[in-house]
Amino acid sequence: MRKAILLVIFLYASGYAVAQDSDTGTGAERRRNAYNEPISEPFAQGRFIPDISLIADFSVATRDIGDERYESLEVPGLIHAHSHEGEDHHHAAPNARNGFNFNYGELSLYSVVDPYFDLFATFHLSEESFEVEEAYFTTRSLPLGLQVKAGKYLSSFGRTNEQHSHYWDFANRPLVYRAFFGDHGLLERGARLTLLAPLPFYLLIGGEVLTGENEASFGTEGFEDFTGANSVEDVNGPGLYTGYIKTSFDIGQFVVLMGASLARGKTRIDHGVADDPAENPEGHAASGTTGIAGADLTVKYLIDSYRYISLQTEYLYRALDGYRYDNAGTKAELEKRQSGIYSQLVVRFARRWRIGFRYDLIDKNEVKAGGTMADLPDTLDRYTGMIEFNPSEFARIRLQYGHDRSSYLYEGERRKINNELVLQFNMAIGAHGAHAF
Amino acid sequence: MKRILSFALLALTLIASRADAKLNVACSYPWIADLASKIGGDRVSVSSLSRGSWNPHFVVPRPSLIVRAREADLLIINGAQLEIGWLPPVVRESRNPNIQQGTRGLLDLSTAVRLIDKPVDVSRSGGDVHPDGNPHYALDPHNIIPLSSAVAARYALIDPEGAALYESNLSVFQTEWKKRLAAWDSRLSGLRGIKAVSYHSLYNYFARRYGIMLVGTVEPLPGIPPSSRHMESLVERSRAEKLTLVLQDVYNPAGPSRMLAGKTGARLVVLPHDVGSVPEANDLFGLFDSIAGRLER
Repeated sequence: MRKAILLVIFLYASGYAVAQDSDTGTGAERRRNAYNEPISEPFAQGRFIPDISLIADFSVATRDIGDERYESLEVPGLIHAHSHEGEDHHHAAPNARNGFNFNYGELSLYSVVDPYFDLFATFHLSEESFEVEEAYFTTRSLPLGLQVKAGKYLSSFGRTNEQHSHYWDFANRPLVYRAFFGDHGLLERGARLTLLAPLPFYLLIGGEVLTGENEASFGTEGFEDFTGANSVEDVNGPGLYTGYIKTSFDIGQFVVLMGASLARGKTRIDHGVADDPAENPEGHAASGTTGIAGADLTVKYLIDSYRYISLQTEYLYRALDGYRYDNAGTKAELEKRQSGIYSQLVVRFARRWRIGFRYDLIDKNEVKAGGTMADLPDTLDRYTGMIEFNPSEFARIRLQYGHDRSSYLYEGERRKINNELVLQFNMAIGAHGAHAF
Repeated sequence: MKRILSFALLALTLIASRADAKLNVACSYPWIADLASKIGGDRVSVSSLSRGSWNPHFVVPRPSLIVRAREADLLIINGAQLEIGWLPPVVRESRNPNIQQGTRGLLDLSTAVRLIDKPVDVSRSGGDVHPDGNPHYALDPHNIIPLSSAVAARYALIDPEGAALYESNLSVFQTEWKKRLAAWDSRLSGLRGIKAVSYHSLYNYFARRYGIMLVGTVEPLPGIPPSSRHMESLVERSRAEKLTLVLQDVYNPAGPSRMLAGKTGARLVVLPHDVGSVPEANDLFGLFDSIAGRLER
């Protein structure tokens, strides 16, 4: 009997639910509870759930060389192989293994906080770790086109740095970015102030104060060499400052976006300077000041709603002035002058298809230690081509071929041309916000 | 140096605010811009963020749009998630506190009409679905009456001094629109009961108004281009249903629709969906004149 009553109540309630669904206009008829009173949910918060999305990236890769040798590849004077024992390196380069790769999961949350702030968070998931990649707020209502962003975030330096990897046009980051900013990009704790200038065209001026932990160009932790002869103190407080200016305008169906960026900060890079020379004869470290300047240009020709041709190029120059230390107790003046460029052409030739080609080049690689110029190769280049099928807005299948002439094998210091083929799958579920240009 | 810079910025801000005493209205689509300028008259300066020849779901969020959103006193949108793929970053990046969600500087026109086709089951296995219902409500010409009232009401709220002008512009517009509505209704009355297929669920409000029976879409699911298997079954179904019309928009490839029309003997009609989609659709009147004309032919 009780069951029957419950069933009747249930049918009654669901009938109301259907009635309400089909009649969203009036709101006069409300759902009723078991006592036939309008249902009241005074403490319900379900409608305040933030936008949640999950992106997962998988790939199958095959390359000329085995995984271990691939990991030990270096770009002389620019990228050191990570062979630090015991160091957790979750946030590694994508597609690092022959065979199947789970590159990353990206869990994002976004919501308005109140009338004054927006809050964004992105969690980087690997097979073993759950990291806070980004967590920052932005202001909503500052006057005069000003906006403050603060927390941990990808710096707005340059064109590519700010973009999350699922939004990249290729499966890996440009060579010069990897060389100067490492596998994480310029990802820092800090704060940013930007001004959208009150002009009839787009002009964005920004400045950032960042911690400067970036392991490829900056760094904050001091060190002492094995002998104890030389030591360098930690960087206390913010060690990195960036500034940039970006402008954009349309010429008919062409969209032009240009930018110039500067970053300047303290450098503390330790590659085993405290190691016993008997075990690690190569142990060394660097300290000093590094400046990086960047210029970028994007020209996108919009053919129609679906098709476009996009040309993007970016040039980065790095200068380090400081000292080199080794674990035998030597300290020498160090001067680095390095630069690189990438240029890419991406064509979306049909609604679901894109094709792209990228050329990477390190064109300057001067490292002078103790007054002697190191003998480093200075034309390091890489060719990348890709074709992409996007079944929907939420899924991407990409086949990418890379011909990399920038990598050297550690032992023997010889160039190892690396050919690789990557089939990448990228999927997004949930409420993922639209991307900016 | 800093002082000079801040002074220059202040001066620029003053110039920017002085030069434009008119109410600055940004609209997501050209039909909204046309409505906004007809109701606003000389008191407003209106711009559209997109073009009528584009797919309204996919507009490239160019930085120049951010500039127009920054200058806006009022942003009028279609709503019902039609702009979800492009407008949110533009509004956010504009840093314009007057047009953010929840302010009176943002008018979502979908709240002025009754939406149809609200999905019971919201899942992307159904393609690019709109959870709030079909957003293409502007293609029912009868909806333009409440939409124009909504625009006038919001103008009066933001700019009370112009309320009388907006009211009189509205009444002139609605009188003319009702006259034309009667003409369109009679011209299109012959469509009642005929069967049609459209590429996307773009003409559902129009079809509902004039009694056209939509028996399928060329795209198997919203946002998914047709496969050959889907086309085969659509041809079969269309033959069984005795299809009369294939409605094609201006921004999707017409090939599959042409094939369907060819195989079933139905007439292929390319219909504008917005002001500026085709040359004759130079304003809202022209849009529906053009639709009526193309269907009559």
